[in-house]
Amino acid sequence: MAKAQAQVPGVEARAGRFDGPSLIPALHAIQERVGWLPREELVTLARDVRRPLYEIEGLISFYPHFRTEPPKRVALHACRDLSCWLQGADERIAALRERYGQDTEIELVEVSCIGRCDAAPALSINEHPATAGEADTLVSAAREGEPPPVATRSYAGGGAWPNDPYSSAGERYGLLRAVLAGDVNTGQIITALQDSGLRGMGGAGFPAGRKWELVAAQVATPKYVICNADESEPGTFKDRQILAEEPHLVLEGMLLGMLAVGAEEGWVFIRHEYGPEEAVIRREIELLRSAGLAGPDVAGTGRRLSVEVFTSPGGYILGEESALIECMEGHRGEPRNKPPFPGVYGLHGQPTLMNSVETFAHVPIIATRGAAWWKDQGAGEHSGLKFFAVSGHVERPGVYCVPMGTTARQLLELAGGVAGGRPLGAIQPGGASSNFLGPDQLDVPLDFATLAKAGSMLGSGALVVMAEGTDLLAAATNVLAFFRNESCGKCVPCRVGSSKAHRILSGLLANGGGPADVNGEISQLEQVMRRTSICGLGQVALGPVMSVARLAGSTGHGAGDARNGTGSGDGA
Amino acid sequence: MAIPVQASTETVTLTIDGREVTAAEGTTIWAAAKAAGADIPVLCHDERYDPVGVCRMCVVDVGAPAFAASCVRACENGMDVKTATPELERSRAMLTRLLLADQPARDRDPKQITTGDNELLALADRYGVAREDGLPVSSGRGTDLSNPVIAVDHDSCILCDRCVRACDDIQGNDVIGRSGKGYATRIAFDLNDPMGNSSCVTCGECVAACPTGALTNKPIRDVPIRPRSELDQVDTVCPYCGVGCALTYNVDRERGAIAFAEGRDQPGSKGRLCVKGRYGWDYAASPQRLTVPLIRREESYPKGPLSAEVRGDADGERPDQEGRRQDGSGRRRKPGGLVDYAEVLPHFREATWEEALDLVARRLTGIHAADGPGAIAGFGSAKCSNEEAYLFQKLIRTGFHTNNVDHCTRLCHASSVAALFEGIGSGAVSTTYGDVVNADVAIVTGSNPTANHPVASSFFKQARRRGTTIIYVDPRADKMSDHADIFCQLKPGTDVAFYNGVMHEVIRLGLTDKDFIARRTTNFEALAQTVADYPPERAEQITGVPADLIRRVARAWGGAGAGIIFWGMGISQHTTGTDNARCLIAMCAITGNVGRPGSGLHPLRGQNNVQGASDMGLIPMFYPDYKKADDPAVHARFEQLWGTDLDPQCGLTVTEIIGSVLAGGVRGMYMMGENPFLSDPNINKVRKALSALEFLVVQDIFLTETAEFADVILPASSYLEKDGTYTNTDRRVQLGNKVLEPPGQARVDWEVVQDIANRIGLGWTYTSARDVFEEIVAVMPSYARLSYDNLGLTGKLYPNPDPEHSDGTVVMFGERFNTSDGLAHLVPAEWLPAKELPDEQFPFVLNTGRLLQHWHTGTMTRRSFALDAISPRAEVYVSPGDAAALGIADGEQVRVTSRRGSIVLATRVSHREAPGNCFIPFHFREAAANLLTIDEIDPMGKIPEFKFCAVRIEAAGERA
Repeated sequence: MAKAQAQVPGVEARAGRFDGPSLIPALHAIQERVGWLPREELVTLARDVRRPLYEIEGLISFYPHFRTEPPKRVALHACRDLSCWLQGADERIAALRERYGQDTEIELVEVSCIGRCDAAPALSINEHPATAGEADTLVSAAREGEPPPVATRSYAGGGAWPNDPYSSAGERYGLLRAVLAGDVNTGQIITALQDSGLRGMGGAGFPAGRKWELVAAQVATPKYVICNADESEPGTFKDRQILAEEPHLVLEGMLLGMLAVGAEEGWVFIRHEYGPEEAVIRREIELLRSAGLAGPDVAGTGRRLSVEVFTSPGGYILGEESALIECMEGHRGEPRNKPPFPGVYGLHGQPTLMNSVETFAHVPIIATRGAAWWKDQGAGEHSGLKFFAVSGHVERPGVYCVPMGTTARQLLELAGGVAGGRPLGAIQPGGASSNFLGPDQLDVPLDFATLAKAGSMLGSGALVVMAEGTDLLAAATNVLAFFRNESCGKCVPCRVGSSKAHRILSGLLANGGGPADVNGEISQLEQVMRRTSICGLGQVALGPVMSVARLAGSTGHGAGDARNGTGSGDGA
Repeated sequence: MAIPVQASTETVTLTIDGREVTAAEGTTIWAAAKAAGADIPVLCHDERYDPVGVCRMCVVDVGAPAFAASCVRACENGMDVKTATPELERSRAMLTRLLLADQPARDRDPKQITTGDNELLALADRYGVAREDGLPVSSGRGTDLSNPVIAVDHDSCILCDRCVRACDDIQGNDVIGRSGKGYATRIAFDLNDPMGNSSCVTCGECVAACPTGALTNKPIRDVPIRPRSELDQVDTVCPYCGVGCALTYNVDRERGAIAFAEGRDQPGSKGRLCVKGRYGWDYAASPQRLTVPLIRREESYPKGPLSAEVRGDADGERPDQEGRRQDGSGRRRKPGGLVDYAEVLPHFREATWEEALDLVARRLTGIHAADGPGAIAGFGSAKCSNEEAYLFQKLIRTGFHTNNVDHCTRLCHASSVAALFEGIGSGAVSTTYGDVVNADVAIVTGSNPTANHPVASSFFKQARRRGTTIIYVDPRADKMSDHADIFCQLKPGTDVAFYNGVMHEVIRLGLTDKDFIARRTTNFEALAQTVADYPPERAEQITGVPADLIRRVARAWGGAGAGIIFWGMGISQHTTGTDNARCLIAMCAITGNVGRPGSGLHPLRGQNNVQGASDMGLIPMFYPDYKKADDPAVHARFEQLWGTDLDPQCGLTVTEIIGSVLAGGVRGMYMMGENPFLSDPNINKVRKALSALEFLVVQDIFLTETAEFADVILPASSYLEKDGTYTNTDRRVQLGNKVLEPPGQARVDWEVVQDIANRIGLGWTYTSARDVFEEIVAVMPSYARLSYDNLGLTGKLYPNPDPEHSDGTVVMFGERFNTSDGLAHLVPAEWLPAKELPDEQFPFVLNTGRLLQHWHTGTMTRRSFALDAISPRAEVYVSPGDAAALGIADGEQVRVTSRRGSIVLATRVSHREAPGNCFIPFHFREAAANLLTIDEIDPMGKIPEFKFCAVRIEAAGERA
């Protein structure tokens, strides 16, 4: 890294980072073998690979997946974040604690969003996703050492999603085959993406075609392609569904990206809570290999296209593209100062194309049917299709693929309306980091510009519904707690600001305060965090709180300042 | 290494606060703004380190939704940068408040109440904000006081990562990092271990880096650390090793003591220090300092050792579990540690200087008159200044007309110097240690630089991170091996075979520099013929290094555009020491690796002034500036210069003098700052020799083991108490400035030498060290043009054609070597085994050397609070396999025995030792390694074989 560092201006120092292979796989191997990470094993590892002990400490204390104590028989992880909180997670966790808190065989941990918001309040038992209702059965089973049952929750299955150009399994990868056969060139695909106006679907919304073109134009080699399958924002689980149900589109999009930019190595970076979905993707990669579409010599072209899965060792921050890269390089997942962006200086300092699951999944149909067709799929002047995860106080939580520009009201109706037919209190249209909108803003078309204009954002494509009567300041403070918990701690405003703001707001809530009591100190903190934090996490952490205050009309701030998303993969 | 961008000739133009600014491409906004006069505050940024952009204090408005950290963001064409808008200033004030809220109160802040320069509190003042102004405060993150001299206060830590970068990027120790995540993040040592139990080597670079009270120095010997403005700053040089780091002592004049030390910028050491330099200066304040001249009492004759350890009957007692001395235990003696003055002082009576000096002059002249010049010998010291070394040799040579004058260089690099003189006509380094940065390949061999030349090693480690390939060749896998690209763990005493094997491959592969060989060397054919018999497979048989690894070294070395070799005592302290060094010279010469940047030969000198003392002629075969003592022309010149008859023959060396004493040759000796009882091989023999001397005067700062045999002991000044110059391993001549007053009646060494000179009628009239230096410069062409005035704060390298304007010559021998024909003389060497090989009775090879925390015979370092606290006891290092086979656990007492002696000490089971080898540091008088070593010497360099003798190890059992 040191040598690449010298060539690109603006690259920050390597503080705490070391050249050489990532130690994360070696740590995984120890944990796999021993069940946890005993000190002697770590000392031996450091000596064998001649790397500092503190590098290991930095990793194992940063990534929640690593254990420095022997595990208990049953790991019961309960989500406490917004969608689950709206479904009574606090009470449920209190009940679990009552029941299992003193149990020496059970480790009960409150964790951040595990991406099962449609089954809220969600749990995982020994890394196996479950609903709160299944807890007792699964805990008993786990205590007996029984392997976790197969996924109890099935996906919609059946009909194909509207972004799948292939009507049968046999047709799949048709575009990839055409490119490999020389019938389609990748320049055409990039042009189609540019013409389609497709923007990154991970949050920041950077135009996909432009990113592909930019990475393709880099002279440095090797280059890498990464599929960011680390969506982890409360309320966000659309990529999970895509991974499970159209892995072929995700992988085809990735492979096309690799061919388009000139990369031989592609990685699917997937959160470890998506075990069942990871299994699907791995099976699909095996299928690709056996079909000769991935491997050292693809379709007899002599080209190497390697696709591998990298399982995240945990943490929302890894969804931030540069943090994800740091993690893959074997470092603490701390976002980099940018520029340089990954397109120029990404994995191992090399040009890297990173898109989210959904972005890649849209590529085959855009390239197959053309930009005009794609544009026509949108509602009104909006173009294309969009996946949304709908959760919270809603009748039928789940993933919906709708025309871009569908209004929030229409999407809410598709999902059966507010649960129990209650009146609406507020929505977050773009995940936990998006600003709250009131019932009077329900007709806003769900698209980048329109939501920005309304004072929120499309964000991670997650509609969180809150019925009337929800304590919105408490909800926004729950969101803030999520960001505080997930802050990497690298920069001061986010690390300290999110903690201080949460203490102030918790105090305020404890004293019966409401949105009208959100004071100038919080407003000033919001401004400092938004403008001085390194990455989107700190920049947006207090946004929802301020939006709730604005909804209540308590501050003099206008609702017009657009916020950046967390940029989970789709920044420039 | 402030800006992580290669120097660029391209420029960019941008606007900063309305002013158009042009900067080299890659310049950070912060640097450009600073040059343009803007004062952008920083906390995490420090120009000594590459930027990380984590504190966000330096953010500027570049027109984007988020502000940019100016310390890391590069200037771009057309940028419109604002550095101090009201919103930016409000942001900075808020960031300051956020950090302040978790800090200790100002009156409890560890930095503010010591050096008083907490940078966060300065920003608080700048923005008019306070800790108690509304944000929820937090504390309780804890402290770590486990290191004896560094305090850690986690509440004070702002996670700026300066310590991380200082530890990694500057010192290459890689100990400190971030642990945890988010608000719970803390700095941590190793696996979140207490600092004092971690792999931290206490170099203090993190303390020097820390902007707040998170890492601060603890007071040493209760001298409070106060703001610099309340203390006196004395700029001088570290008294320990040959690296010669520049430093500043902050002196508390009211207490007459040093409060703390700091690194000072200098072209070589660049402000860095190691644990000895930063924390090991308090020996001078030891209550055991000699303050009055002492004369041996009548009843203490016949002479002999006085303390149990020196008598050699000490190992019948068991030290406590820690190996520390136990006070008031009612035992016959205090085991371990320092000499027990209660045991030895009663054998001496106090005297006046007049009486003592008169006695010295009378006895030495008496012996000289009775037995002739050959009956007198002097040991000077590489710890003393150039001026003292010069005067000491001048005293022995002109006062007693003998060349029997030597010093510890004999025990250190004598063989290297012998080979270098023979090969290239000069014993000094051909380039500096810092030149490693220009090398493609650096071989570090027979050297443990992280312990013995820590600051030089930091440059090796840093160079490797920038692309230099480090090849480490050593029988011990010490820390340097962790930083090597190629590590060859050869069997002890097989260096010649190893390098012959490498040269065999270099020649076979045609990787020699044929032009260089043709134009600048002689005798290549003979060398080639010799190494032809050392194919890698044969070298493997002898050295134990796999043939393929030898080939890899050959390819790397032969393929290097610039290659440099650093070596230490592992090369020189063998009976084949000269041959070992000959091989290294040949390695460089056949590949053309001398005389260009990043190439050359660098014997890492041990003592702070071993280079200078040798330059001054404190050696029996050379007058000052390496003029041969037995060369009639030289002899004539010095007789004329010094106005007296001189000995036309070379004198005896250190080891030969000991032998001569036993044979009745040398009868009277003057020892200034040397402690041969612990530093010379085969102590039992040294004991006999010292006891046999008719008269011995010892001039030192403590009552050393050697002083127990003295007739007169003269209390000397420590390094800290006098002015003088010192020449480091790089040939850098630096001024050492007086820091403190000598205690009691202790006197400056050169004045004592002058007083003795005048008592034997030499009529010297030097008035100051500066006065002596002027004579040195006049006598020695190498030092020409240097003066106290132009040495300045950072010293000067010699040779130096223009010291007023130049730092001096870094790379020597660009055109010709110093030999009479200007060519490098290649000398082939055949591998010879060590003199005493292991056998059934003595199955282990004993290697001796030093520890990071200790210096030679421990007289200074064992009286330093920090160094003694960190490394209090004698240990023998044994490999895990051998320990298991012997049934010995870590920490267990063992007896180590050679054919010459036996010691009892604790075991340290260490993966850094190879099976069959063991290592004992020679600092510890209670378990003196040199009781075991063999007094066989290299035939040319006369250096003893400290690195190889056969021993056996056995559990000490009940006897321990």
